[in-house]
Amino acid sequence: MATGLSAIFLHNRPALLRFLRARGAGDESEDLLQDMWMKLEEKDLGPVADPLPYLYRMANNLMLDRYRSATRRERREQDWAEGAGGVMADPSEDIAIDERLILTERLEEARAVLQSLGPRIELVFRRFRIEGVGQRLIAEELGVSLTTVEKDLQKAYRAMIALKQKMDTE
Amino acid sequence: MNEEALGWVIRTRDPEFADWEAFTQWLEADFGHAAAYDALMAADADLARIVPAKPVAIAVPANDTGPRGWRPMRWIASGAVAAALVGVVSVGMMKRPDIYTVATRPGETRTVALDDGTRVEMNGGTTMRLDRHDARFAALDSGEAAFTVRHDAAHPFRVTVGDAVFEDAGTVFNIVHSGNATRIGVSEGKVIYNPGAEAIALPAGRALSEDESGLRVMDIAPDAVASWRQGRLTYANAPVTQISADIARSLGVQLTATPGAGAMHFTGTIRLDRDPARFFGQAAPLMGLSAVRQKDGWLLKEGDGPSR
Repeated sequence: MATGLSAIFLHNRPALLRFLRARGAGDESEDLLQDMWMKLEEKDLGPVADPLPYLYRMANNLMLDRYRSATRRERREQDWAEGAGGVMADPSEDIAIDERLILTERLEEARAVLQSLGPRIELVFRRFRIEGVGQRLIAEELGVSLTTVEKDLQKAYRAMIALKQKMDTE
Repeated sequence: MNEEALGWVIRTRDPEFADWEAFTQWLEADFGHAAAYDALMAADADLARIVPAKPVAIAVPANDTGPRGWRPMRWIASGAVAAALVGVVSVGMMKRPDIYTVATRPGETRTVALDDGTRVEMNGGTTMRLDRHDARFAALDSGEAAFTVRHDAAHPFRVTVGDAVFEDAGTVFNIVHSGNATRIGVSEGKVIYNPGAEAIALPAGRALSEDESGLRVMDIAPDAVASWRQGRLTYANAPVTQISADIARSLGVQLTATPGAGAMHFTGTIRLDRDPARFFGQAAPLMGLSAVRQKDGWLLKEGDGPSR
């Protein structure tokens, strides 16, 4: 029953609770911890390399999921309100082609923004964000300092998130 | 944009992130921090949709299942890759009188010995500029060359390729430059790419390519670097367009690939052969292609593939 991970969960329960509260879970923090406990018990995860960071990440992911479904619900309700009384749009092919064109345009725009930052920043961003490689490894691969990689990532992220926000308001 | 929150987005996204306590403290410091973090994490999640996973989408036929079997081909020496000694071919394009140009015709190779003990082996179809008064400089304008550099930390050897600079740190390396694309492979020592800007270090066994799709760094078997000197071309998942440019340069033949053939990838070793008919007869099926002789050269097209 109390595998390694569960034991570490119990031992660090107060710290995880504090984290969830800080993360904005409020009164639901206890319930979320209970959810985590159930998940740990039903899945036999086997040995985990860094158990405590693993548990924190799990808690953080729960919060991210919660945020995502909340915004999605908001958007759906808004769409519903706007479309009230009307007839649902027919998902004809024209719209699909239209959307595809917009997507291609956006991919091109994003590629241009990334390229304008310079080849090293683009490479660092792709390795980190698309291929999921950690900053320490990227620094080793490129033979540059960790600070350089951190700065590169900040620049790339700033540009890409600004672009994303611009696209959302278009 | 909340810079602090962005910093935490990047940090917590790192697979090695472990300092959750510090993150907790930052969240507790201000009630708005969690919301700022959530909003940026949501924007981050959407980024995957606008950034393509690969720099360029290359259509690879669905039945292309990666590496094909390697079949050795006979290498006919016939003095083909004879090393010729230095030749000053023409006065360079730059106005400075001490800059001179050395060039090889397709199919021709040449070895240039510089005063400092550095050796530059030029493959066919290559143009380089050198400096009579500075033996630590070379500019590769087009083609392919292997550099065996005598290392001198006080005076690093520099090769410029277009806008890029490669600086040695005790090295054997090979550079290919054609059109807008540059590839470098390092077999010994270390090379620094653009020491003044990106400063990417390439130790032995690493390769870098730069083209319109961006910059990439990858692994390369050190003995595959500049293998053209031994009459071999060695590839790991290389596009056929690149391979056909290498073949044309090494054998001195006109070679084109159909778009379909050019988009295919090949992993393996191709032995060079001075007899084009015999060479293509064996090399094309090895790549799963067929070669057709044309008026003034050869055409690579999608073939029946090798019998598997």
